[in-house]
Amino acid sequence: MKSVSAVALLLLTVPWACAPAPDGAGTETGQSGSTVTAIINADTHTMTAAGRIGNATILLKGATVAAVGTDLEVPDGARIIDARGNTVTPGLIASATHLGLVEVSSSLDTDDRSASSDMLGASFDIRYGLNFNSVLIPLARADGVTHAVIVPGASAQTPFAGTGALISTGSGDDLLVQSDIAMFAGIDGPSSSQSGQSRSSQWTALRLALRQAGRQDRGASVSGLELVDVLRRADLDALRPVAEGSMPLVLRTQRESDIRQAVALARDFGIRVILYQADEAWRAAELLAEHKIPVILDPMANLPRRFDNIGARLDAAAILHRAGVPLALHAWEFQMSHNAGQELRQAAGIGIANGLPWQAALEALTAGAARIWGIEEHIGSLEARKSANLVIWSGDPFEMTTRPLTVIVDGQEVPLETRQTLLRDRYMPMITGSDRPERENSR
Amino acid sequence: MLDDRYGHCARTLLACGIAVACIGLPALLHAQPTENPFPSTYRPAAPTDTLFLNATVLDGAGNRHERASLLIRGGLIAALGEDIEAPEGVRIIDAEGRWITPGIVDPHSHLGSGSMPYTPVELSAWDVNEIGDPAAPHLYVETTIRTQDPGFAAALAGGVTTIQVLPGSVNLFGGYSVILKNVPARTPQAMKFPGAPPGMKMACGENPKYNYSKLGRAPRTRMGIVAGYQEVLDDAREYLDKLERSRRGENDKPPHDPKLAAVAAALDGEVRVHIHCYRADDMAIVLDVASHYGLPITAFHHASEAYKIPDLLVERDVCSVVFANWWGFKMEVFDAIRENAAMLEKYGACVTLHSDSAITGQRLNLEAAKAMAAGQHAGLDIPRRVAIQWITLNPARILGLDDRIGSLAPGKNADVVLWSGDPFSVYTRADLVFIDGALVYDRSDPADQLVSDFILGQPAQKSRP
Repeated sequence: MKSVSAVALLLLTVPWACAPAPDGAGTETGQSGSTVTAIINADTHTMTAAGRIGNATILLKGATVAAVGTDLEVPDGARIIDARGNTVTPGLIASATHLGLVEVSSSLDTDDRSASSDMLGASFDIRYGLNFNSVLIPLARADGVTHAVIVPGASAQTPFAGTGALISTGSGDDLLVQSDIAMFAGIDGPSSSQSGQSRSSQWTALRLALRQAGRQDRGASVSGLELVDVLRRADLDALRPVAEGSMPLVLRTQRESDIRQAVALARDFGIRVILYQADEAWRAAELLAEHKIPVILDPMANLPRRFDNIGARLDAAAILHRAGVPLALHAWEFQMSHNAGQELRQAAGIGIANGLPWQAALEALTAGAARIWGIEEHIGSLEARKSANLVIWSGDPFEMTTRPLTVIVDGQEVPLETRQTLLRDRYMPMITGSDRPERENSR
Repeated sequence: MLDDRYGHCARTLLACGIAVACIGLPALLHAQPTENPFPSTYRPAAPTDTLFLNATVLDGAGNRHERASLLIRGGLIAALGEDIEAPEGVRIIDAEGRWITPGIVDPHSHLGSGSMPYTPVELSAWDVNEIGDPAAPHLYVETTIRTQDPGFAAALAGGVTTIQVLPGSVNLFGGYSVILKNVPARTPQAMKFPGAPPGMKMACGENPKYNYSKLGRAPRTRMGIVAGYQEVLDDAREYLDKLERSRRGENDKPPHDPKLAAVAAALDGEVRVHIHCYRADDMAIVLDVASHYGLPITAFHHASEAYKIPDLLVERDVCSVVFANWWGFKMEVFDAIRENAAMLEKYGACVTLHSDSAITGQRLNLEAAKAMAAGQHAGLDIPRRVAIQWITLNPARILGLDDRIGSLAPGKNADVVLWSGDPFSVYTRADLVFIDGALVYDRSDPADQLVSDFILGQPAQKSRP
């Protein structure tokens, strides 16, 4: 058991284990640096300027991509994986899930998604609740997701949710790749059980808190304060990187008026804003493009479930892309964790069916998402020095009839076995005959 | 062999599968279900007689036809095959590269029953469950239907032509279902499938016990749920006996009891029972209760553990209505696997897919693709011509409508979808949808996008100039 001091809390950000540092100065660590894996005959979508390389060889050294190209020599002793002409993409990035935070949605003892019933607000940090033994993780990676942004649910301190993190779906004993990937908040009509107050109140609270966080003295003494003061102070501390522009603020908001308020907030405070679940964002596509405000969208959202998303429509992703808005995708909320990969791929496919270019959809699940989250130096594309995350697909990654044949996370080929395939295999003999119940004799 | 199996599936006379249970339940009883007080006023729109040429056709009856022709005429399927002559005045569509299937049948939906937008006050008194009394078999879910629910048009754009709307899964006996033609209409009655056999919703497992526990009343346990079934079924049997004796002049007719009349009609096989159950053990217990009372069960809905008991389901001739991949949203669905449908199919059990969601209900073709692919990846060879039956003929059978819809056999209603390509592809969309031979959806026609009354005039839906 780790014991974590207050100081350690502030410093604990797991570094990119084996990939170069963001400034490019680092080199891979030694631990498995000598292991070379060669993926050959790979129809590779590099998601770099090199584009698509048919029949490529991808050399992985340890946890890092060493080279991608057509004329590469495979070193002696390298492990060879023959992609047999199949499509290879970078590992998919799910830009919004609760992987590692929830096991059975209705079972509260397995649900660490939100600080909805305690005093934490912006200071709620999901990193401490991550469960690397969750059986949702192997399923996500078996569906091609190698990285995911873990989103906190709404807190009791409307409109704040807390800070999210980036995880990898590798099979190690830690999911966390980067904590504090973004601050999350949500603004919507008072209809949801979490908000219950006018959206004017929500915007005002957000603006007041950001203003105060920007003024807050770093490391100010908190002695002699009541717990509630400490917590409120912690919330402001958590918002400081947002106010200073070093951490993006992800706003989950749907109505066009709120989308435009979000643009005003970004402009007034000079902060980085990312929109999430922004069903009506297409109505402000030009404005968002002008302010370079990215959108995390569910391309399947097309129904006026509430007054906040009357404008939801299937071609929203296509419209945003055409306008030049940076785009990442998420699966619909009900399925974003339990079928994180399959439903994300379907969402991208539906986006394509409604006008989003195929390449843009793949971009939104790989390099484009990585840019939005500020991790493009490490993941999202296949080129030298990037972290080695890739998927060999049995066909078009967005077709529901396609599956990953091989998934590599941080240079390691991960097992594609899941609790569900084990259940399947346990009962399959009954189906196929080797252990079939005596049905023929029963009547 | 396939036909024989499905013949059983369609009848689902579970009672007579167990000879002992049939004793004392004379087949001639015929309890009349209370006559439906909301009769269908559906009238098909004027048919567009059409000849499709050069299509890939999955006919719903288990066959795939390449470069085939399909003629629909006078609202019915007229012919399917090669070299069909075009009668005079028929619209001809060259479907080169495109696919045709029967209209999709969704056997489990809540569309219209609480219409979008879902307002907080509506959600606080959701029309889907009349939660007070666990025994509410006499409720009519058509009384909740708002035909302007935008979900109907979205489902139609996904090729869904017939929808069973069911009451929710809180009550043990939840009420009558309604089967709808997915056509634009002003009233629920104008969507009702004429002459469709009545159905009834029942439920087992977590939803009844947790919801009634919250109300501080029974059933709080699975024991209480089973006792709740038994209590009502005992009363319904007695009611049936009294009816029969009154017919023989031995006593007066019992006073009309709408609850018991509904359950008595289910006992008599006049009302099809659709029961929400996830777990294998729950289903096995329900099957024994049903056997004891001679209650025919048409289908287990959700049935996420059906793959653990395919033998029981085949023996008792009960269909499973399942999800492609939903799991983990509560404990009783923690063991759901994607191969469920494919494993049941391979075993020879009846299986259909369903939506239970306005999102999923727009793309049941992709649910079929997921379930088929899961089976294929596990080594179960299930071709498209079979998997399409999970969303066409099989659900038509459990609704008792397979003589009218679900396949492209000549003489059946011309419920037809022309797809832009392979319906198992995520990129494919329904180009044209016909119900009873009438063109009800044309993707290329901007005037035909079925804007609901609620959406009409909403600036948020409009493209900015």
